[in-house]
Amino acid sequence: MNLRRKRKSMGGIPTASMSDIAFLLLVFFLSTTKFDIKKGLGLVLPPFSDQQTQRVRIKEENLTKVLINREGQIQLRTYNSVEQIQINELEAKVRELVKGNPEMVISLQTDRQSKYQYMVMALDRLQSAGAEKISLSTN
Amino acid sequence: MVKITKKTKPEMLIPTASMSDIAFLLLLFFMVSTVFVRERGLRVTLPQAKKIEKIPRNHSATIYVTNSGMISIDDLEISIPDVQWVMQRKYMEDFNVIACFRTDKDANYGIMSDILNQLRKANTLRVSFEAKLKR
Repeated sequence: MNLRRKRKSMGGIPTASMSDIAFLLLVFFLSTTKFDIKKGLGLVLPPFSDQQTQRVRIKEENLTKVLINREGQIQLRTYNSVEQIQINELEAKVRELVKGNPEMVISLQTDRQSKYQYMVMALDRLQSAGAEKISLSTN
Repeated sequence: MVKITKKTKPEMLIPTASMSDIAFLLLLFFMVSTVFVRERGLRVTLPQAKKIEKIPRNHSATIYVTNSGMISIDDLEISIPDVQWVMQRKYMEDFNVIACFRTDKDANYGIMSDILNQLRKANTLRVSFEAKLKR
């Protein structure tokens, strides 16, 4: 008897166009990807209290005020001195103050009509100077 | 006559078998890192700062403030007194919520101050002022 085996046809998935498909998808994701990394200056606000009397008392020598007016001019007020400074000087001045007194609280007081940019610039300088106790207020 | 036999040239081929592997690897990377923008936001120009840090995206709630004083959270334009309840709702969803300010650099600080007060009332005390890195 002649039992000749039939040759089986090889079953295979064509892989030649696989890379085409992959690249197509790749191009799609490449073009739609947006690296949305948010970066900013962090700060923790004090909790809200109804009673205005419930305030934390800070010793005068532990408080430094940084005032910004609507023109963006900066005034540095400590318990014994008042001086008008430039934004570039702020970091060095505050660093000196914080170094001398780690308890130093910096109160950043910005005029309501002042630009947001000035406040961010000052806050950036304060944080760069290593000030950890920063409070925001306005007039 | 001398018979010159042609040498068989070695076949020059770039192996393409692993091409799809490379493509899929890249594809996977982009698929994982893709974020489809959920909010359109408002048009703002961020201020510049040096000492900026990353904000964890899964905890952040973005507040847009334009230079004309328009406020928007989740593509919803709201007024200052409404900030409190919107943020209160966010706080209930996630106690570690960080309010991210995308404020135009020329916006008035007065609006920001009012919003900050609203945030204090809503008990969302962690805030972040978004900025571009100053080089």
